[in-house]
Amino acid sequence: MAEVQILGLFHEATPTADTIGILRQLGVPDEKITVMSGIPYRPEMLGRPRPRRRVALISLIGAGLGLLTGLFLTFGIFLLYPLEQGGQPITPIPPTLIILFETIMLGTMWAAFFGLLGENRFPVFKSQLYDPRITEGHIGVLAEVEAALADQVESILKDNGAHHLRRETSSPRRTDVRLTAFWATVAGAVVLLGAVTLLIAYDVLKIRFPTNMAEQDSTAYLQGPRRSAPAEAIPIQGPVLIDGQPASEPVPASAESVQRGKELFSITCAVCHGPAGDGNSPLSGFFTPRPVDLTSTPIQDLTDSEIYLVITQGRGGMPNMAENLGPAERWDVINYVRTLAK
Amino acid sequence: METTHDVPIWRRPPPEDTELSHQLEHERRQHLLLDPRYPLDIDGGVLKPMYRHTWRFWLVTALLAGLVLLFGAIWTTQMILGLGITGLNRPVMWALYIVNFVYFIGIGHAGTFISAALRVLKIEWRRPISRAAETLTVFALIAAAMFPVVHVGRAWKAYWLLPIPTQREIWPSYHSPLIWDFTAIFTYLTCSILFAYIGLLPDLAMARDHTIGWRHRLYEVLALGWRGTEREWANQETALNVFSYAIIPVMFSVHTIVSWDFAMAVQPGWHSTVFGPYFVIGALFSGAGAVIMALVLIRKAMHLEYFLRDEHFDGMGKFLLLLSLTWAYFYFNDYLVPWYGQEPVEKVLHQLLATGSAAPLWFLMIFCNVVLPWTTLWSRRVRTSIPAIFTISVLIQVGMYLERYIIIPVTLGRNEFPYSWGVYLPNWPESLITVGAFALIGLLYVLFSRIFPMIPVWEVYEGQVLQGLRRIGRALVPTKAEPGD
Repeated sequence: MAEVQILGLFHEATPTADTIGILRQLGVPDEKITVMSGIPYRPEMLGRPRPRRRVALISLIGAGLGLLTGLFLTFGIFLLYPLEQGGQPITPIPPTLIILFETIMLGTMWAAFFGLLGENRFPVFKSQLYDPRITEGHIGVLAEVEAALADQVESILKDNGAHHLRRETSSPRRTDVRLTAFWATVAGAVVLLGAVTLLIAYDVLKIRFPTNMAEQDSTAYLQGPRRSAPAEAIPIQGPVLIDGQPASEPVPASAESVQRGKELFSITCAVCHGPAGDGNSPLSGFFTPRPVDLTSTPIQDLTDSEIYLVITQGRGGMPNMAENLGPAERWDVINYVRTLAK
Repeated sequence: METTHDVPIWRRPPPEDTELSHQLEHERRQHLLLDPRYPLDIDGGVLKPMYRHTWRFWLVTALLAGLVLLFGAIWTTQMILGLGITGLNRPVMWALYIVNFVYFIGIGHAGTFISAALRVLKIEWRRPISRAAETLTVFALIAAAMFPVVHVGRAWKAYWLLPIPTQREIWPSYHSPLIWDFTAIFTYLTCSILFAYIGLLPDLAMARDHTIGWRHRLYEVLALGWRGTEREWANQETALNVFSYAIIPVMFSVHTIVSWDFAMAVQPGWHSTVFGPYFVIGALFSGAGAVIMALVLIRKAMHLEYFLRDEHFDGMGKFLLLLSLTWAYFYFNDYLVPWYGQEPVEKVLHQLLATGSAAPLWFLMIFCNVVLPWTTLWSRRVRTSIPAIFTISVLIQVGMYLERYIIIPVTLGRNEFPYSWGVYLPNWPESLITVGAFALIGLLYVLFSRIFPMIPVWEVYEGQVLQGLRRIGRALVPTKAEPGD
């Protein structure tokens, strides 16, 4: 049975409401009538049933999804990959509440927006019966009736003050393929983006991020003896940290390095620590406490990085030598000092 | 026979009584919502200025675009040469870029407040101004979001903000206020854009119905097929209500978190529990002033005198005065407690502001933010005088910019260790980048105003249909119908 769509424009709400009442008496069901207007008229003004409203419910679902996202970001990631920070809990509650608030609100509002699009079947691709005068303040009444009733409906509209009548044969109702394709594309793009992010995050797709970490002049002198990473910590590529070893690569204890260290020692260190490094120098009597004996076991038991720290920062009565010795020179001196062991 | 109910509002005859007729004339001059016109004329009043491209328009656009290009050039230079070319140095490592960040985020607050809060409270005069305010919010937030990236120097590492553990071996920690900031601004920016877009849909349909050529095609796509059916209006109303109620707390959270960027540091002058609400009020204050400036400018440039009337500037002026009072209250709170505590370093800071080198800035700030609004805005004549309210709004921008300047670089110059005190002076790169950021907002605003309707026409129509005059005794009194819900 062929159906036709008839659109008539009205100037005002009152005749529109009257006409809708007459159409209903004629047997045109409410769901076959669509009212279009340039401003939101309340359903009760036009004598129409209240439309179904599900956007609020959808935004509530969005709030739930936002909460789950927030929990994953704050708790999930940090329980999977703990990030230790100075004695603080890995998942502290108060900052988490801030993030949860924001993600819940984000989920609520995004869901309200996509709920609006979904509930209105936006974006519309197929052609719809419409009249541009509706945005000029006219109210359009669109009735979808069987072809036999068409003339009668048209005259009812006309008699009640409708102008600019339009009639169109309805196309059979079916889901628009383009709308489905549009949302499938959007969903696909989102999934693809998420998948690529995760593939990069988990090293399946390898991009060498320029971190500069390996190229830095890393001296580790502020860090003291190093602990190796906890077993469950993030995997590390590049130079691996080993117990008791400095983070930076020290100058290897080659014969040249020791020779350089010996010269530097005689210039910078021997004046206090003595030419033999045993703490006996012409000046040592003037210091309390006396300069330490570098050949002694307590000193030789220090790690390289601890000696590096002392040279760089000084300790007790010893001034720092950072301006006298460059980083590589400090390692030369350490290599030399190691040869002084008793 | 036609009853008045069948006659469209713009065609209803005036009352026969001459006195009532005069009253009607008066009310129509005063109130946009009581002054209905033929809708096509109203549509035209919004759409026609979008086609006006006078030499002034091109001059302004070219000037703003030039400044934006300068912004880009200097930013590139700074990335190549490093942050050393700016005036940043110990102990002041946060300066003009962070001032701009806080200031522009603040500007971005008023748009949402005016749009969402006044909608929730059903304040009718908001109708024609909400679009201009929302647009300002979006563009100010875009400018603000750039500044942390400009500030950190290595802009190409912005992806480090992504909260995923990756092979770069480090990721953001949620213990840090800077990450709260990122989350809050992301939420606020995206939701502000969606909020503005939902309100824009019916107007895009209106523009689609009255244009041809590329504009028609653009509006056709952006309007998504809007026809104004009952279902569309009902869903739009629900969505706008959800946004209005949800975005107000987000707005408060954004500037509160910005204030925590400072308050969470153990820095004298920053470590204050009142910073959150104090920053929110300051943001609304400067934002409301900026909205007034934007309204004055688009009213003049696009001839929107029919839509933007004395009543709107009057309402915004009262709002501004209220915010000035509230701001002063919070500032006094923030001042009094350290003053009473007499911590040595706080004393140094207070002396620096009251009698030291920062005194001119501080007194100018007090003048612009407190003295000027309090002495002028109580008067309706001042509030409704366009040049006066514009000047006051500009000076409030100066005052609020100075407030952020005093909080950030001036305060950072003093700390517990006198040997590490310092004075920051802006150098040319950050000064020109600041100018460029203002130009960027202006440019986006100018271009937007030529492509999208700057007045929410459907909201104005709706207000005109719902508002009317009721006769009580010998007077006509404006009344508003408030149907359902």
